[in-house]
Amino acid sequence: MLQTFQDKFYQNFIEDNRWKYIAEGLGITLEVTFFAVIIGIVIGFLVAIVRSTYDKTGKLKILNVICKIYLTVIRGTPVVVQLLIIYFVIFASTDVDKVIVAIMAFGLNSGAYVSEIFRSGIMSIDNGQFEAGRSLGFNYVQTMIYIIMPQAFKNVLPALGNEFIVLLKETSVSGYIALQDLTKGGDIIRSRTYDALFPLLAVAFIYLIMVMIFTKLVNMLERRLRSSDH
Amino acid sequence: MTTNGDVLIKVKDLHKVYHNRLHALDGVSEEILKGEVVVIVGPSGSGKSTFLRSLNLLEVPTTGQVYFEGVDITSKETDIDRHRQKMGMVFQHFNLFPHKTILQNITLAPIKLLKKSKEEAEARAMELLKLVGLEEKANAYPSQLSGGQKQRIAIIRSLAMDPDVMLFDEPTSALDPEMVGEVLELMKKLANDGMTMVVVTHEMGFAKEVATRVIFMDEGKIKEQGAPKEFFENPKEPRLKDFLSKIL
Repeated sequence: MLQTFQDKFYQNFIEDNRWKYIAEGLGITLEVTFFAVIIGIVIGFLVAIVRSTYDKTGKLKILNVICKIYLTVIRGTPVVVQLLIIYFVIFASTDVDKVIVAIMAFGLNSGAYVSEIFRSGIMSIDNGQFEAGRSLGFNYVQTMIYIIMPQAFKNVLPALGNEFIVLLKETSVSGYIALQDLTKGGDIIRSRTYDALFPLLAVAFIYLIMVMIFTKLVNMLERRLRSSDH
Repeated sequence: MTTNGDVLIKVKDLHKVYHNRLHALDGVSEEILKGEVVVIVGPSGSGKSTFLRSLNLLEVPTTGQVYFEGVDITSKETDIDRHRQKMGMVFQHFNLFPHKTILQNITLAPIKLLKKSKEEAEARAMELLKLVGLEEKANAYPSQLSGGQKQRIAIIRSLAMDPDVMLFDEPTSALDPEMVGEVLELMKKLANDGMTMVVVTHEMGFAKEVATRVIFMDEGKIKEQGAPKEFFENPKEPRLKDFLSKIL
């Protein structure tokens, strides 16, 4: 029993340096997630500003329509399909790094969800806060930056953390464009050793650990931000 | 409480129509003089809050003009944010910034808008906190304060901008009865120091004692106004008589 365990472990991870598939795949997954999160936050922030400005003041009408189309399309289609379209249609004739394609696809996708999270956060702040800011003489943008955003961010932090966890796990479909991320790495080992259990459990375990670490970090940040709610 | 006759706020034929149905303001024209303490009373839905909120354009009137210190602030060319710095406003629900300490609440606008140094703004804030006896709350958060304390902080937060007029929108309506006194006391102090004030309130005692002029609004119009003594002892409008008989 123990012997077969050792054999399997050796065969799946040590032989031919197969652990490198996992390690390098993990690197790709983290790279894609990290940059996609940044793009997602930037897009999400901008879209949320446009949408809530329109909701509050009726300005930015055309931009609001564009944002709404973006949200409808992104949220109405599967992320795998978006990834495939970006790789095989939009970048069909160019030789572009698959990592960049994945970052763009997941960033664009995440931006739609992040923007709705931000927007709900902004709209959840009592209008009295906004009026207090304006009555002191702050303009719209200053009121947003100094008064609304810090409170909104605190309110949406759990939802935002959740979105990033979803994004991290969603990158596991990168294999569809033959990008060797963590999941693909485990899958390659499986195809070499004909053993599904070890490589896939290892992959699952690594995702789990990353999600747990991230959850912990979000909780810590949340607790620090909550210091004003005695 | 003397006025030197200078017009601070002038309102010309103000109309506010909500969704083309409700006529919240129906042709209001009025002048507020420097040093006046004007108390506005009236039944709910009379347009008194809408009128007050029109003075600093939190409520944008449908038609009509508001002049503040001679400038038409309803004009599109006017930088309303600059003029709002001179018009303090106190709300029914205090609207302190919950993510900031009391000191930060008071110093935020002076630092960012008046470009005061942090030390200067904090020194002034501590002065104001001393005025209301809440120095020891400087580093507390709003959620740690009682309603009356919050409203007094909200008042001095506005005062920190050295406004030329203070607008009060039912400042004691959300308070527990035992906390109303401390807020009115502070407002009285302000009035005695010569601050121009426009106050929407149900506190008739305050109106009688502190106001230089009382305005009665109903159905979006100013129906009657006068010095408090005359206003309360000898009302002419049937609607005002009816109103006073219900609340006094």
